[in-house]
Amino acid sequence: MAIDSYYSIAYLAIFLPAVVIAYTVFPKKARWFVLLISSGIFFWSMSGKLLIWLIVSIFSIHYGGIYLSLLQKERDGKMARAKAQQGGPSKKEIRKLYQKKQLAVAAAVALFNVGILVFLKYTPFFGANMNRFLAWIKAPFSLNIPSFVVPIGISFYTLQAVAYVMDVYREKFPAERNIFRLALYMSFFPQLMEGPICRYPDTSGALWQGERIQFENLVSGMQRIAFGMMKKLVIADRLNLFIKNVFTNYNQYDGGITALAAVLYTCQLYMDFSGTMDIVLGTGEIFGVTLPENFRQPFFSKSISEFWQRWHITLGAWFKDYIFYPLSMTGPMKKLTSHGRKRLGNHYGPLTAGACGLFCVWLLNGLWHGAGWHYIFFGMYHFALILAGSLWEPAAAAICRLLHIRRTSVPWKGVQIARTAVLVCIGELFFRAHGLRAGLFMFFNIIWGFSLSSFGDGTVFNVGMDKKDFLIAFIGVLIVLVNSIMKEKGTRPRKWLADRPVVFRWALCYGLILFVVIFGAYGAGYVPLDPIYANF
Amino acid sequence: MKNGIKKAVASIVFMLGLVCLLVILSYIFLPKNNMKAFGMEDVTANGILGEKENSIDVLVLGDSESYSSITPMQIWEEQGFTTYVCGTPGQYLYQSDSYLQQAFINQKPKVVILETNAIYRKMSFNASILNRIENVFAVFKYHNRWKSMQLGDLTSSADYTWTDDFKGYQYYNTVDGTANSDYMAPTDKSKLIHGLNWQYVSDMADFCEKNGAQFILVSTPSTVNWNYERHNGIVQLANALDIPYVDMNLMKNEITIDWTKDTRDKGDHLNHSGAVKVSRWLGNYLKKAYNLPDHRQDDGYSKWNEALTRYKKGVGEA
Repeated sequence: MAIDSYYSIAYLAIFLPAVVIAYTVFPKKARWFVLLISSGIFFWSMSGKLLIWLIVSIFSIHYGGIYLSLLQKERDGKMARAKAQQGGPSKKEIRKLYQKKQLAVAAAVALFNVGILVFLKYTPFFGANMNRFLAWIKAPFSLNIPSFVVPIGISFYTLQAVAYVMDVYREKFPAERNIFRLALYMSFFPQLMEGPICRYPDTSGALWQGERIQFENLVSGMQRIAFGMMKKLVIADRLNLFIKNVFTNYNQYDGGITALAAVLYTCQLYMDFSGTMDIVLGTGEIFGVTLPENFRQPFFSKSISEFWQRWHITLGAWFKDYIFYPLSMTGPMKKLTSHGRKRLGNHYGPLTAGACGLFCVWLLNGLWHGAGWHYIFFGMYHFALILAGSLWEPAAAAICRLLHIRRTSVPWKGVQIARTAVLVCIGELFFRAHGLRAGLFMFFNIIWGFSLSSFGDGTVFNVGMDKKDFLIAFIGVLIVLVNSIMKEKGTRPRKWLADRPVVFRWALCYGLILFVVIFGAYGAGYVPLDPIYANF
Repeated sequence: MKNGIKKAVASIVFMLGLVCLLVILSYIFLPKNNMKAFGMEDVTANGILGEKENSIDVLVLGDSESYSSITPMQIWEEQGFTTYVCGTPGQYLYQSDSYLQQAFINQKPKVVILETNAIYRKMSFNASILNRIENVFAVFKYHNRWKSMQLGDLTSSADYTWTDDFKGYQYYNTVDGTANSDYMAPTDKSKLIHGLNWQYVSDMADFCEKNGAQFILVSTPSTVNWNYERHNGIVQLANALDIPYVDMNLMKNEITIDWTKDTRDKGDHLNHSGAVKVSRWLGNYLKKAYNLPDHRQDDGYSKWNEALTRYKKGVGEA
């Protein structure tokens, strides 16, 4: 059986029901085992023997964590004895000594895991660039670059591994002694391909508990899965007909079509990724596991900074906790902050050190998404926008005051939301383009070659999607928009639905299922879009 | 407990309701005739739906090799029994299986031929499951018809009236020869058949046996697609399932394919002159081996004689 995505029939009609049945049939004590074996089968069906890489990661963080715990215990013992003894090293000295030891262990384990990721995923990229450099300096040799098959979800589970070991180091929780429990945290099948990137306390308890499947959770989980399928099959896959054409033959279209392709790709990326997250979180919900949300209505963001607090939330939080904060807390950065504060004041002063941290975060964020210069450009683009936003903020506030613009007014918020959406679409254009050169070509084509003639003469309907395709995609987006507005206003749509009369509830569920069955872009004439984030 | 039973009943009723809706939608979305204008896919292969009930003696399944190599009208003219080729481009075995089952709804072929190139086409497990679902609920297959549906689709029932004069054969008279005629170098090696494919062939053989039809594997000539390793693989399969196997690639004396003239694409597929040679031998072989009837003087088959006239005109033999 080949499961190639969470949307595949093998997953939805065979694998998931089989796991639900097995989970229900097995006694409570053995349910974690059902989930672990199922996760192993899931991984194996996609990456086969590459499962070994995941096992290596699990072992490394398990023994790394235990060693950290031992060091912490040893330190505590020595500190307790130091209290009683006179003349030996002070408690502060002991703490400092063990801090160094622990940091060395945690860093070694984290680097080992990141090293595997870099080795498997980035060797061709770095190698190719090195060869370019060698050719540029006219070196008489070049490197032989190997390429590797990358195990599914390595970019996601590696970050989970690092989070676990760093949190044990920070003593947020004690190291897990049970390797199977850790293995389940690392490999729980719904989150394996595309996240969300979980922290150990988020999920490990519920995964291990093996609570009985509740009818309400089952229904609610299935509703969320159906909604995710609508996003993917009706919207994302249908938009692909247009997007693929424009991005592949980018030099054949005018700026108007290119701009539309950038907007539609942004929409597709959101529908694809958030649709997958609906399936992932819906599956977790069935088993009583609450996985962290990855999206919070990102297109209602009023700034790029806010956008990244609403889009791929768990990745942003990971970079904040394990890259940005540790960097900000280093000695040189602290000095830079206090120096800047004295010279430039309370707003611009801390920004200097913050910018250094932000630069690292966005460089790594870009690289995490893929081994390519356009991904690095994507990261730097957002770094520049966020930094510019912070620099501009006092001036913007002053101008608004001067012009008597109330920054909390609805029209102003609308302007901010629209501005943010435009900036996001530009970023996604570079993200999707076939390389940086193609991205730049498309961007300048929008600026210099913009024309609405393709919309007027109907050319827009000959690029892969006809009028009816656009209409269906639009209806799909409208449904998602209504759902998002409800959430933004604090209403939980599925809770709201559960409180409605049964006839209304069933009609809506039937309607959603049949909408997917009839208007889904699948079967003859459609090439299913590979889950975009599964490739990162 | 009471609450549990209530939830279980509600779930079953919901699922039954969904099944009913899918059945109704399948009825609505099913093309109402077997022509392209009605939304039918692969119309030449589905032309069999318009054939008179129980009028087809031999059914051919397979990919482009099947509809490029076997011309039923040639066989009709020479032997008088009826053949229909339900071949489609790049046909997967799950599709062959669907055509087989569809054909047996209105027909009772005495012989079913599976062209073996499809046996080596790797199938997606997901696609094979979707195909099974499509066979039960046509809405999954024809859902894209929503763009062209009319009010009549809601009320009218399917009535298949179109028949193909070429009976599934696709005529190509272009010549693009190849010098490679020694592609069947003997070897003991055997090309492995994927487990899912093996299972499908086995299922089709069982289906034919239950329905009183002889199931045969046939490899039509192709220098690009065929070799001795594949031949050995099919021999193993045929022996294991106890079904006859005919490999035309090893019959140089019986079927004299001239690879400089009888192929349209450098040995990948035969052209019309190649198909005539293959069909002549195959018709003769089937007639003798399976004692197939001669309907040429039968009034019930007059439409085949009329189609033959049009076919001959179409292939430039009139």
